[in-house]
Amino acid sequence: MSGLLSTQIFWLAVTLVVFEAADTISRRSNRHPLAHPVLWATPVLIGLLLLTETRYDTYYSATYPLSFLLGPAVVGLAVPIWARRALIRRLALPILLALLAGAVTAIVSAVGIMWLFGAPADILASVAPRATTTPVAMDVATQLGGVPALAAVIVLFAGVIGAMTATPLFNLMKIRDYRARGFAVGVSSHGFGAARAFQVDQTAGAFASLGMALNAVATSTLLSLLALLF
Amino acid sequence: MVGAIALLFVCQLAGEILHRLTGLPLPGAVIGMMLLVGWLALVRRERPTLEAVSGWLTAHLSIMFVPAAVGLIEEGEALKDYGLALVLAVTVSTLLTMVVTVLVFRLALRWSKPDEEAEA
Repeated sequence: MSGLLSTQIFWLAVTLVVFEAADTISRRSNRHPLAHPVLWATPVLIGLLLLTETRYDTYYSATYPLSFLLGPAVVGLAVPIWARRALIRRLALPILLALLAGAVTAIVSAVGIMWLFGAPADILASVAPRATTTPVAMDVATQLGGVPALAAVIVLFAGVIGAMTATPLFNLMKIRDYRARGFAVGVSSHGFGAARAFQVDQTAGAFASLGMALNAVATSTLLSLLALLF
Repeated sequence: MVGAIALLFVCQLAGEILHRLTGLPLPGAVIGMMLLVGWLALVRRERPTLEAVSGWLTAHLSIMFVPAAVGLIEEGEALKDYGLALVLAVTVSTLLTMVVTVLVFRLALRWSKPDEEAEA
């Protein structure tokens, strides 16, 4: 029986059941920000790993089909972006200026606060790409001498925070423009923000995908240039 | 169906090849997304299956992050020393970035397209 715990189907089935339970609670709460399914599924799964004394490596390779889908899903974001090309072309200037401002703010504020806390260089390097999508952040963190796994966790946390706070924050700011709202959450909280934006509004989702994609380019370019300087 | 999936995979593969050949700091999937935008611009036709497949994928993005999120289990050391600071830094940075981005977007929109601002 013990061999069962290292099979792919065991952890895939468990992950899907736990996620579906969390997602049901999220749907019942009308997608309340605090009920984000990843926020609840993750600690439950960590508890199950600890309980069964399963190594993370084993879990990660067993559930790799889920991580794998992230690649084609990111490629597929081209479709909603292409569908709104006319709108995007018309708004090229606000998009570019907001992207630059957002990318610089994300890097400087995250690294700056950690620097004030006296964090060592490898943690600063892991937090620098915090606004980009997970695979980009892990790549960039490695390039800068950071810890890719830590970068992934930081990026996910930024995603959860953005997905949870975007709607109340923009309502508080009285911003109703779904293009601006979507773009901002995509720049700050990557695919997570985009996933949330698609639940609220299709245009918000398309602009969030665009923000995520453009910020992956902007942040990795800015940080690579920075790495060349030092 | 297979055609649409193949298109996504081939774009990602081409992105991966470009990433390795040029040393571009972008991952293959992001380059692949830009290539797919290029392909859609180049070969213009209706693509209902591609829309269905990519729509299904984007609707389920959240669960694809779960295996990486569970990686938290391995970061005990860094989190013990800097966990609180990280929570604070990432929370402040995420909120601040959203505020700055949304405000610059609105400001630039108002400045470049005053009529459009009114209808939004």
